[in-house]
Amino acid sequence: MSEPDDAEVFAHYPDVHIDRDNIAHYRGLMGGRLLINRCSDCGHWIYPHRPLCPACLSWNVVPTEVSGRGSLYMWTLIYQSRDPDTPLYEPILTAAVELAEQPGLRYLSRVVGCPPEALRHDMPLRLTWIEEAGRNWPAFEPAG
Amino acid sequence: MARNPLRDRVAIVGIGSSPYGRDLQRSELSLGLEAAVNAIADAGIDRQEIDGICGSGMTSLAMGNAGFLSLQGALGIERCTWGKNGWLGSALVYTVEAVFSGLCDMALLVQANVRSPGMSRAAARDPFRARAAQFAGIGGDVGLGDFAKRWIHSGEPYAAIMRRYCHDFGVNKDAFAMLAVNTRSYGALNPEAVFQSPLSLEDYHASRMVWDPMQVADMDVPCDCAEALVITTAERARDLNVKPVFVHAMALGGTRIGEYYENFAGWRDNSFQVSMSGLWDRSELRLPDIDLFYPYDGYTMDAIAITEAAGYCGIGEATDYFRTSWDSSRNILMLDGRVPVLTDGGGLAHGRAGGANLYAEAARQLRGNLGNRQVPGAQSALIGIGSFFHDPAAVILRA
Repeated sequence: MSEPDDAEVFAHYPDVHIDRDNIAHYRGLMGGRLLINRCSDCGHWIYPHRPLCPACLSWNVVPTEVSGRGSLYMWTLIYQSRDPDTPLYEPILTAAVELAEQPGLRYLSRVVGCPPEALRHDMPLRLTWIEEAGRNWPAFEPAG
Repeated sequence: MARNPLRDRVAIVGIGSSPYGRDLQRSELSLGLEAAVNAIADAGIDRQEIDGICGSGMTSLAMGNAGFLSLQGALGIERCTWGKNGWLGSALVYTVEAVFSGLCDMALLVQANVRSPGMSRAAARDPFRARAAQFAGIGGDVGLGDFAKRWIHSGEPYAAIMRRYCHDFGVNKDAFAMLAVNTRSYGALNPEAVFQSPLSLEDYHASRMVWDPMQVADMDVPCDCAEALVITTAERARDLNVKPVFVHAMALGGTRIGEYYENFAGWRDNSFQVSMSGLWDRSELRLPDIDLFYPYDGYTMDAIAITEAAGYCGIGEATDYFRTSWDSSRNILMLDGRVPVLTDGGGLAHGRAGGANLYAEAARQLRGNLGNRQVPGAQSALIGIGSFFHDPAAVILRA
């Protein structure tokens, strides 16, 4: 199966600010792969999606699939939505997941398969995928 | 010590405010204009002397609302040689640097805030607020369809940071509670404060959970309001019939962490630490020389981190420090037994003014005619305004 072209990426994410620096990331999500930019010269992982390596100023930046291993750096449970007319029947968990590839490299995501009261700082997590309104998104679950 | 050629060379000479209210049924521009007119009158100048304007907003060149271009036109100011928008702490710093550098001689700084549709159900039902928000420049790649972008310019990560703080330093939320109670005690003394009623420590802990572990008592209160300052050179200030308040030193603080807040740089390398160390590098003053302290309290987490960055206590030590600073007879903080904190009631009680309320209150205190909340003999104020990620200003004002 060929990779979706740019028009297909734009069509799949009409509600996302797609640009030249992040389109490869979203193309990866469509194919079930979590891609983060990595410098080909010094190996530094770069997030958010930027075309220049902040460690060595190289432009040789390549979207690269991550291992999916990580840990829970910090999280909050959203009890109140911005619009009280759409009440939250259960709180939304938003979590900064520190990816195993590099200290401080974090991806904001959901944690599934774990009740909120069992969450712990720095607990090991691994990548999984969830479906939401017809699209697949990265999520994380307890590892081991 | 770092170079600081502007030391005591730039002064605040006019202070003006709009009313504060939950629903004033006025535009952001209207509020800004009222504060501006009051500040110009307070300075005792002709408005045509104004030749620079710092308007309101995080997009420095945006038009509309209380941006600098709209303010200039609406105020009928004929010529300006400098203009820019700013918000949080940076607005004053931009304005002072413009005066000091000679880009203008008499600058007007206006910071207007309104309760936006995202802040409450009542605000969301107001078609005027909805339309204003639709056309406001939001300045970036925010949220919308991708959950991974949810924390770009978001308040939610401050809740996660608050939990990480308690975890890393092995503390509960007592310091956050004392900070919140302190502001409400001062709100009861400020007739413009949105919250006039005091809060107890028990009330704090019982308040509604919003973004666990952040509660509603940790969050500033959205309101309609505006503040304005007139800023000119110390030389010009001497010719005016007001007591000037001098800008002694100031610093901003950028870090490599931008708008993706999950990348929080940690306790030693965040923007508050950078701005406060930059300030102390530019001044011979030290904490024993400071009489008043204004740590921005958009969230209590901000004020705790700014207190630690200022050096009142070590990183992670605010809980013990606040306990030893607590005046239980008045339910206020007195740092080192002497320095009051957020004497207007801050954002938590006075109202969400993006820190402009703190600049105005500090300047009024240093003039020394503030009625029942005047701190006797105050000669200097330390102000920290901004976020862990953007616009952190550290400023010392002197009488």
